[in-house]
Amino acid sequence: MKQQHLIYLILGIAATALFVLFGEWCYELHYVNGFSDDMHNYELNTTVSVITALVPWAAAGIYYYAINSVRFDRWYHWLVVLALVMLITPVAGYMVTDSVMADNGKSYVAESVTFELLNMLWAAVLFVVASFSMRWWSSNCRHTPIPQ
Amino acid sequence: MKKIIFVVLITAVVAVMAGTMLSCHRSTPLEKAIRQALVQQDTTQARFDSLCSIVASEPDRYKELLTDAGEPDALVLAKLIDEIGSTLRPPVRWDVARYAVKQLSLTIYFERSGSMVPYDAPGGRGQLKKAVNDLINFFPTGDKAGIKIVNDAIYPYSGSIDDFLQDRNIYASTQGVGNASYTDFQKIFNEILRVQQPGNVSVLVSDLIYSPADTRDVSLEKIFNEENSLATRIFKQYKGKSIVVHQLMGDYRGKYYPYNGKPFNYSGQRPFYLVVIADSRVIDSMAADAAFAQFMRPAGAVNSYRFNQAEQGVDCCVLPDWKDNSGRFRVDHHDPLRLTKCQGDRTTDVLCFSVAARLDGLQKDARFLADAANYHLRSMSGFTLKVTPITTDMFTGNNKSYLEGKTHLLTFAGKMQNAREEVTVSLTNDFPAWIERSSATTDVNPSAADFATTTLGLKEFLGGIASAFGSGGSYTTITVKLER
Repeated sequence: MKQQHLIYLILGIAATALFVLFGEWCYELHYVNGFSDDMHNYELNTTVSVITALVPWAAAGIYYYAINSVRFDRWYHWLVVLALVMLITPVAGYMVTDSVMADNGKSYVAESVTFELLNMLWAAVLFVVASFSMRWWSSNCRHTPIPQ
Repeated sequence: MKKIIFVVLITAVVAVMAGTMLSCHRSTPLEKAIRQALVQQDTTQARFDSLCSIVASEPDRYKELLTDAGEPDALVLAKLIDEIGSTLRPPVRWDVARYAVKQLSLTIYFERSGSMVPYDAPGGRGQLKKAVNDLINFFPTGDKAGIKIVNDAIYPYSGSIDDFLQDRNIYASTQGVGNASYTDFQKIFNEILRVQQPGNVSVLVSDLIYSPADTRDVSLEKIFNEENSLATRIFKQYKGKSIVVHQLMGDYRGKYYPYNGKPFNYSGQRPFYLVVIADSRVIDSMAADAAFAQFMRPAGAVNSYRFNQAEQGVDCCVLPDWKDNSGRFRVDHHDPLRLTKCQGDRTTDVLCFSVAARLDGLQKDARFLADAANYHLRSMSGFTLKVTPITTDMFTGNNKSYLEGKTHLLTFAGKMQNAREEVTVSLTNDFPAWIERSSATTDVNPSAADFATTTLGLKEFLGGIASAFGSGGSYTTITVKLER
């Protein structure tokens, strides 16, 4: 285990933890009157940021260590997983947000869709972070997406 | 083997990350329940009691929230609720300190002077007795109220509460109690204030006509001055008290005793007064508690005024999304009354925003609160103000949390001429005009146009109380900061 790779892993975890801790700040870079306040009041920024952190890490873990096959070690295989992350994360986030808002008699369909489209980008960034944190120890996919 | 170790390692890393992230944001069940209550705007006594039961169920965990007797401490809990409420957008205030005042007692001081008897004449509609009965019925512990008869001194009422409520001619049944020929306000008010316990609410039912003994050949001006000084002297000693005066109208059928004039028969309307006396803190608590709503706003009261009402903050927030808004602005996350990135409308350059405020705690009637003339507005750019009472048909799913619990919309409009400015609105606490209108300088002529609506020397007596507490100022002030 190279020390450099361990540092990547630690940095990746730290970056992801920072994203969760400051998730609200990240999301409010695009502030929407009313909607953003309710996201804050119902603590949904935290919930969604945890989902956005966990899905990419779980997906990267599955790709590099569960799939971990030479048949899936090309860059476009990695892109397919990235696409899945960019699909699953906003859908899960939307479902949680919509459910909590609806329980409280609120309706923010357009705002939620915009929010999740932006969240899709955060998910992509975190998938890249997770990939470069953990790929080094994968026996078959450590050269994906970019060779070492 | 190596592969399995890495899978386990990565799974452990993800699990630790998830655990750490969640634990960072984990709050206690009590904090969660408080947040939920505030977000749902469920600020009722029942909800507060449910919070207390959470505290009581885990005394070790919440020992800092318990009193020495092991009971949930409303004041400490209030602090925690304030802390959580201040993190919400808009911040939510929940005055739970009032729940600390659980048991209030009521004492009715019923004036039985000669000029009061005709208010309860058998031929009249009995508004005076009805008003007193309502006070007893609408006070939560009214069935334990004390009743006193007052004229030259204070005397106990010999019957029970039920006897009083059912009595069709209270003056006949209390005939012979004290000396009905004059009313010693000095003795009465001094005694009421002297014996009043902290949780007691005293109500004097009176026509507020100052009629001391031995006034032959004394000029009215001298009597007015004496009355004014007397009121000031009495109440100046009790700065912590508040006095609420309600004016009501009642049928008057019988002999009227004018000052230094011949008694005459009068049949018509006359004003009478309910003077509520209690600690300011108690009046504040009752004003904020729905259980006292009917007691605090008696049916039939045509005018009311509270003496010694401190300026207080009100629960308010700017509506981020509202039909009357024009131009653009963003509500600051930490200060709900600070608007940043303000821009006027593209075509008209007018910036218009609305503040939803809860004004019912100010104990002013709906007409007073809805009249923009009662508000003093200060701004550098000449903003204008419109006041609209909030009704439930204004609620939508998204603005409900901003409007719920609020009573009035204060809509400001103007062209912002500076990069930063403040719009300040105050609800002014002026000596009320109705007291001046309801005051007479003579009462010898029953056919005078204002005889039915005025009371001799009312302005002097109530003015004396106002002098004791100091008047002026405002009931509340709201300042909205604007920044481009």
